[in-house]
Amino acid sequence: MEHAYAQALWKAVEGTPGRAGMKPAAAVKAIVEVLTREGRGALLPRIARSLARLAEREHARNDMVLTVAREKDERSAKSAAKKNLAALGIDEGDLKTQIDDSLIGGWRLEGKGVLIDHSHKSALLGIYQRATNA
Amino acid sequence: MDSSTVQKILKEIESVAPQREGQHVGKVVAVGDGVVSIDGLTKAVMSEVLHFEEGRGKKLEDSMESEGQLLGLVLNLEEDGVRAAILGDTERVKEGMTVKSTGKVLEVPSGEELLGRVVSALGEPIDGKGPFKNPTMMPVEREAKGVIERKSVTVPLQTGIKAIDALISIGRGQRELFIGDRGTGKTTVAIDAILNQKNEPKATRPVCIYVAIGQKESKTARITQQLREAGALEYSIIVDAPASAPAALQYLAPFTGVAIGEYFMDQGKDVLIVYDDLSKQAVAYREISLLLRRPPGREAYPGDIFYLHSRLLERAARLSEEAGGGSITALPIIETQEGDVSGYIPTNVISITDGQMFLITDLFNKGIRPAIDVGISVSRVGSAAQTKAMKGVAGGIKLELAQFRELEAFMQFASDLDKETADRIESGRRMVEVLKQKNGEPISLEKQVAAIYAANTKLFRDVPVNQVTVVEKAFVEFLDANFAQMLAGIKKSGQLSDDAKKELGKAMEDFRAAHSEYFALAK
Repeated sequence: MEHAYAQALWKAVEGTPGRAGMKPAAAVKAIVEVLTREGRGALLPRIARSLARLAEREHARNDMVLTVAREKDERSAKSAAKKNLAALGIDEGDLKTQIDDSLIGGWRLEGKGVLIDHSHKSALLGIYQRATNA
Repeated sequence: MDSSTVQKILKEIESVAPQREGQHVGKVVAVGDGVVSIDGLTKAVMSEVLHFEEGRGKKLEDSMESEGQLLGLVLNLEEDGVRAAILGDTERVKEGMTVKSTGKVLEVPSGEELLGRVVSALGEPIDGKGPFKNPTMMPVEREAKGVIERKSVTVPLQTGIKAIDALISIGRGQRELFIGDRGTGKTTVAIDAILNQKNEPKATRPVCIYVAIGQKESKTARITQQLREAGALEYSIIVDAPASAPAALQYLAPFTGVAIGEYFMDQGKDVLIVYDDLSKQAVAYREISLLLRRPPGREAYPGDIFYLHSRLLERAARLSEEAGGGSITALPIIETQEGDVSGYIPTNVISITDGQMFLITDLFNKGIRPAIDVGISVSRVGSAAQTKAMKGVAGGIKLELAQFRELEAFMQFASDLDKETADRIESGRRMVEVLKQKNGEPISLEKQVAAIYAANTKLFRDVPVNQVTVVEKAFVEFLDANFAQMLAGIKKSGQLSDDAKKELGKAMEDFRAAHSEYFALAK
């Protein structure tokens, strides 16, 4: 139930194509009015938590993260991933960078439902799996 | 073109085609009871295989130590993501884990090298004999063959069980259901059918697949041992999804079995597949469906439970010569509760199959084994899938048993009955004895024909009822020792010629003379 209210709140603020969204305060006021009228006021804290989760998921979906093994690999990785970023329509400035030394080397680009893995770790694991399954 | 050639072409294309950059991925948002909810994967398709990325953040050596790839199977496509069944250990899946789309539907290995092996529901070897070297991958979900590629079922599949081969004959490509309460010998009858294939010439011997669904590991181990000791494992494959396996694997196992079988059918070979049992598969599917929040229907089964079994059993077929001439004969097993065959799953499977064999607890307890109620069991293929020899001798017993069943109730008033009625009852009682058979002792066709011919011609009339089974066995051994050529003739021609009948008559006279001690009532 709270998930549905959180989605309604999200859509009300975000708006739809051709229709501007409501101001957050107005949207919350409207939803509180509905909840009070229906005797569901106790749902409000749960709606807030559900909205936070929704926002988290939305960020995870839209964020593009470039993971490298060492800090010094960042520049070369960005340059190597340039073509992929262009294909995905992502500006280099919107890219977040992470360090994960378990990658050993290479880079890994993840976000918007796509994963491009050029890490040495995945290449080595692939070789290991092919060798052990043969 | 056979499937192995198609597989080779696809492999070639795969190696030549440019690799697509990037994989579609999603994130695990919830996991529990073998079902996982994934956010993203907007391009996933139904029954697609997913790959859970376990190694994230782990060192290379730790990633290498994980027990093989962890896979999932897409079962629900939703607005924000997908729901999938985990094909392995649920505890390995964590919230936030990346899930990769593979773009492939589930495939299992098949081929000659699977013969004699025991595999899991994913086709992985579990008998400790090592991996398969060069298997052909077969899709677990495949559309059943169409009308044009099929032909009528006319070739018999000998089970070695007199009651079945004579009265409820099974043809290659047929689907015959074994239904009954627990402990009535359903599995035994099916295993005997597999054992009997040893009597078939190698060229026409079907490949046998036994699919154990939700069974105790000890039972499957015992069956494997039994097949091995009888030399039947060399032409058999066992697919095991034990009771301890996740529901998803128990649901998949029959499809894995039939996918393995389809490889052999495509090669023009005959396949016999036993699903032991589909009621447990239905229960596993119900569990998954409820966890996937699909609307429950009758007995809480999902709406597509009929389709689950019909699409599986439709894959049994006899192909036309143009399509290779292979066949898959399916022997599904259904366990009933307290003999109730009007349950949801039993009625569904009864309506899908081409006949049913009812195994009854009362008969089992009376010592009539196999405990098949020949009165209510049917085979819709019928005599079309019987050899001429069997057709010739079986017609008589059907009538005799039907008359016996009518008169059976009067048995207790035997002293007040007229001679004709009393004779019919006595003859019926002996016929029932002739059809009795010990488990694990299937009999070849020619011996069955000879034994039933002898029963029809009243050889056992003067034998006490409780001795009929012993005398019948002795008679068959006598024939084996002294009239082997005549038996070989019946086997070769599949017919009971006049000459063979004459010789059988002589054999019966000789047997009576040599074993007068058996015919006590005549004295």
